[in-house]
Amino acid sequence: MSKVMSKAGTRLPLIDGVEKVTGAAQFTADLPARDALVGRILRSPVAHGEIVRLGASKALALEGVRAVVTGADCAHTYGILPIAMNEYPLARDKVRYRGEPVAAVAAIDAATAERALALIELEIREFPAYFTADAALADDAALIHDDKPGNLERHVHDSFGDVAAGFAEADLVSEETFLCAEVTHAMMEPHAALADYDREHDRLTLHTVSQVPYYVHLMLARCLEMEASRIRVIKPFVGGGFGARTETLNFELIVALLARRANGKVMMTLSREETFLTHRGRPQTDVRLKLGMTRDGRLTAADCEVTQRGGAYAGYGIVTILYAGALLHGLYDIPATHYEGRRVYANLPPCGAMRGHGTVDMRHAFECLLDRMARELNLDPFAVRRRNLLTAPMRTLNDLMVNSYGLDECLERVEQASGWVKRKGKLPPGRGLGLACSHYVSGAAKAVHRTGEPHAVVTLKLDFDAGVTAITVALAVAEVLGIDVGRVRVVANDSAVTPKDNGAYSSRVTFMVGNAAIEAAKNLREILIEAAAGKLDAPAAEIDCIGETFRVDGGAQSELSFAEVTAAALVDTGTITTKGTFTCPPEAQGGKHRGGAVGSTMGFSYAAQVVEVSVDEDLGTIRVEKVWAAHDCGFAINPLAVEGQVQGSVWMGMGQALSEETRFADGLPVHASMLDYGVPTIAESPDIHVDIVESIDPLGPFGAKEAGEGALSGFPPAMVNAVADAIGLDVNVLPVTPDRLVEALTQKRRADKRQAAKAAKVAVS
Amino acid sequence: MKRIIRLKLNGRDREDAVSDNALLIDYLRETAAATSVKQGCDGGECGACTVLIDGQARPACITLAATCDGRAVETVEGLARDGRLSALQRAFHERLGVQCGFCTPGMIMAAEGLLRDNARPDEAAIRQALAGNLCRCTGYVKIIEAVQAAAEAQS
Amino acid sequence: MNAPLPDFSLARPQSADEAVAQRLAAPAARYLAGGTDLVVNMRRGLVDADLLIDLSGIDELATLSANESGLTIGAGVTLAALAADPALKTYPAIVQAANAVAGPGHRAAATLGGNLCLDTRCLYYNQSEWWRRSNDYCLKYKGDVCHVAPTGDKCRAAFSGDLAPALLVHDAEIEIAGPDGRRRLPLTELYRDDGAAYLALTPEELLVAVHLPAGSRHSAYEKVRLRGAIDFPLAGVAVAVTDDDPTPRLKVAVTGTNSRPFLIEGLDDLDAGQLGEAELVLIDKAVQKQVSPVRTTMVAGHYRRLAAARLARRLAAGLASA
Repeated sequence: MSKVMSKAGTRLPLIDGVEKVTGAAQFTADLPARDALVGRILRSPVAHGEIVRLGASKALALEGVRAVVTGADCAHTYGILPIAMNEYPLARDKVRYRGEPVAAVAAIDAATAERALALIELEIREFPAYFTADAALADDAALIHDDKPGNLERHVHDSFGDVAAGFAEADLVSEETFLCAEVTHAMMEPHAALADYDREHDRLTLHTVSQVPYYVHLMLARCLEMEASRIRVIKPFVGGGFGARTETLNFELIVALLARRANGKVMMTLSREETFLTHRGRPQTDVRLKLGMTRDGRLTAADCEVTQRGGAYAGYGIVTILYAGALLHGLYDIPATHYEGRRVYANLPPCGAMRGHGTVDMRHAFECLLDRMARELNLDPFAVRRRNLLTAPMRTLNDLMVNSYGLDECLERVEQASGWVKRKGKLPPGRGLGLACSHYVSGAAKAVHRTGEPHAVVTLKLDFDAGVTAITVALAVAEVLGIDVGRVRVVANDSAVTPKDNGAYSSRVTFMVGNAAIEAAKNLREILIEAAAGKLDAPAAEIDCIGETFRVDGGAQSELSFAEVTAAALVDTGTITTKGTFTCPPEAQGGKHRGGAVGSTMGFSYAAQVVEVSVDEDLGTIRVEKVWAAHDCGFAINPLAVEGQVQGSVWMGMGQALSEETRFADGLPVHASMLDYGVPTIAESPDIHVDIVESIDPLGPFGAKEAGEGALSGFPPAMVNAVADAIGLDVNVLPVTPDRLVEALTQKRRADKRQAAKAAKVAVS
Repeated sequence: MKRIIRLKLNGRDREDAVSDNALLIDYLRETAAATSVKQGCDGGECGACTVLIDGQARPACITLAATCDGRAVETVEGLARDGRLSALQRAFHERLGVQCGFCTPGMIMAAEGLLRDNARPDEAAIRQALAGNLCRCTGYVKIIEAVQAAAEAQS
Repeated sequence: MNAPLPDFSLARPQSADEAVAQRLAAPAARYLAGGTDLVVNMRRGLVDADLLIDLSGIDELATLSANESGLTIGAGVTLAALAADPALKTYPAIVQAANAVAGPGHRAAATLGGNLCLDTRCLYYNQSEWWRRSNDYCLKYKGDVCHVAPTGDKCRAAFSGDLAPALLVHDAEIEIAGPDGRRRLPLTELYRDDGAAYLALTPEELLVAVHLPAGSRHSAYEKVRLRGAIDFPLAGVAVAVTDDDPTPRLKVAVTGTNSRPFLIEGLDDLDAGQLGEAELVLIDKAVQKQVSPVRTTMVAGHYRRLAAARLARRLAAGLASA
């Protein structure tokens, strides 16, 4: 292959793309494990109850069974938020949702493991179970957690500015309630983990599908009462996560407990159904939103009430409910806001963080209502959004920092690309255009675990072969060093080899790890320049490295190759390692109010999108014809990857808008397969045109911000707005499945008829 | 019950003892070490295990290994020639038809089956041929572009 | 590693008679065609069988032949082959139905016979063993209550094959091989209105072929589903216009709504050449009256009823104006 001198801003394929297209990429379930025992989990058939008896002796006695573990084997809770760890790897005393792990076995093969599960005797005394937020909140509802009265995990109240004055000043005040179904990640790779316990050395190695191996490491140490130094966590290729794997999951701890009990190696691959049960998706959310607007489209106040049905355990719940309120801000200039958020426990699989964590359902309500108010005031949807733009740099009412803001340009781009001005209102019947905007954080500015350490650390190793070994963000390293990206080897997360990293969530990798990588590369560059300077007998300040060649300023006569300079730099010292770190400055870490750290970020991405639909009113089906999305990612380090991320997130928003939802029959999931959970197929997926907007963030690596989440939350409202444009129907429920659309149409026709009859009566009298 | 099956896997003859109730996916992954064949669902719903059987794209996770006796089976491991990526592999790689990579082997095999039948498929034919293969990362846009690019490169 | 399938052995007969004989000798055996339904169900623990009789080696079943009396399609012809065969050009609904099944990988394996004998479906049935056990099983399999209609004594699982309605509107007959030889019957008689016992066959009987009468009929098939592929029909409708002289008649058949696919009754007096609004309303009403979708899918039964009627009306109007 020819050498491509990699500049940040070059369209490049994935650094591990070749492995992925040849089949060489090994995901967790692909790891060599012929000698491993097979681990399987026994799950509660009951939604809420007390474990009266759990007998494992018959299972243990079965030939080929090497270990059985139950809740008695781990007395420690785990969880992502230090203040809300209320989950055991295996239920103790009480079960709180159907599918909750209660015991697990390790056996010589899958058939034996299955037989052993059937031999475990489980008796549960049932309690009343609650599958909706309303039922769980009822006065007489039994408590799912004894320390959480009212089954309320968190009640948030936030007020900024003078809300009453804002509404008084408005020419139009509108209020609507939106119901958004629960959705889940459905990444293509089912969960899997391989645990190996070495009794002689008392060491545990876990390979797992995690996005956050560091947090898994912490929870393994806690739950297994092992010193962290005796644990090694390795992340092989991971088949998607979208937030599902941003906290430690029960099976990761269970497989480790089994391996230690069996004194050996245990492979646990979860079925697709179990992967759905593990869940951690976006909760079912009701949003009541009231907005005030002046005649010319200026927002005056927002009043928002959000109820999330969080499932049986805390997970990220507190963050999710805080996020929904915090991210009311940062997109538009709103003079006053009031937010009430309720996170409610229910006897269902626990929710967690999912792509666009916290913002999606609130943003859906906001962008839909904004559009309807614009319509009522006879304003263009673009105009009303332009009327409320922010001016960077600024701090929002809730003290979030906005340093770069490309929303105006995003609007410009999608207006042009979609032919909005010429086409809006002139499409054939049943066809319509809709617009929505959105934004998202580039990494939470305050870490989940506050250790005082930097938010990101990257190390580089330069050795005899003149190869550079880095973790992630190879392109940033190549750019700073002036070398071919092919010279950079990336070593993925392995706690024994790579520096601690908090993981891939909240879109933090590009921003935080990217900045750390740049610093590490700059430190390495300094060493190399110094070495080159010595060799070329010139001052370091005059040396530059471009295209893997070191030269003295302007002079062409003397130059050194990268390998030559490497050799020079290694003299006396040997292998060189450098380090870079990144920490979000305190001013980026949010306001002083309770929960003020949530939503705080170094830089918000911005997005606008136009969705074109055609609607079949007879059958209630919606076809998405085309999407035009513009995303302000600050600077596109790799534009090809940015496009791919934006397309993927827009499309995932489409799934939530059209066909995806979880459903439960008395707490049993009826969606728990790739047939029943409607991940869109290629057949109905539209073309998605992407425009990249570069606002060059002052703090981002080369000016970059996140690109993989922000556009998601724009799709559902843009589609619902397009449906309104197409057939004059406002839909307030997601997903807009054909039955819901037909139902909404029927109700509207009835209402229209009543209205007409009333009008006729008035006319007569 | 076990039986001996003889089949050609990626151009190489094999002879293996398999149980009558063994699924092709488990045979390929466990016995033949072709771990590119992924299990993404609980059977027949996602396409991640798509392989070619006598040139036709089929899900390996609902196919019995014993019924493949005497047939030719191909997986993505068999596409590269002399260490060079095939046109489809290269196009998926260079055009970002792959993100997490989990659906990729099955997706490429479904596309391979298509291109052998129809060297210059239009977009509708590509959508139809890949309609049983779910991808959760790309939104499919770049997958379609990759198949189009591969078709062009091959012709 | 997947959970292993139940332990069974595999027979690979060379003829239909041999298959029937093997089935007779093994009461807990099942016929295996493309496997896209049976193996999926086995993976969920829905099938008790100690022997699978693989039909893929029987040449007769894989043959499609045309003569003056029409078409004989072997039950083992795959849906992909069926959709691509030029002989089916004059039976458009059948091609459309074949192409509407699942995804292309399934259609390459799935057979016509398999699709006609597709197990009925229900959200309380097509679940894992853990799921069903946690729910005390159901009337269709291992349990004694229908969770969809708890007061009833009949399983309401829905037949969801796409091919049956298309074949019904083309007056298909089926040929059955059994211990006492062959018999031929109208396709409509293959089915019973009982989700747990939806086929009117004895266990040994084997569907070997479908016969289609000669002659050209305008026809069409369409289904509603949440996604553009993979999904079973929430409701599927086939419509054909006969070439009866002087008055062409309309045939409408439905799948996905009841435990059996069936022809809509009461349309015999309609002149398919003269379909006005009144006739379309009549079709709409007839379908709404005769289908009985219940809570077997995540999508409400009420919608499936409306969708079936609207599809019928739309397809009929389309064919009439063609």
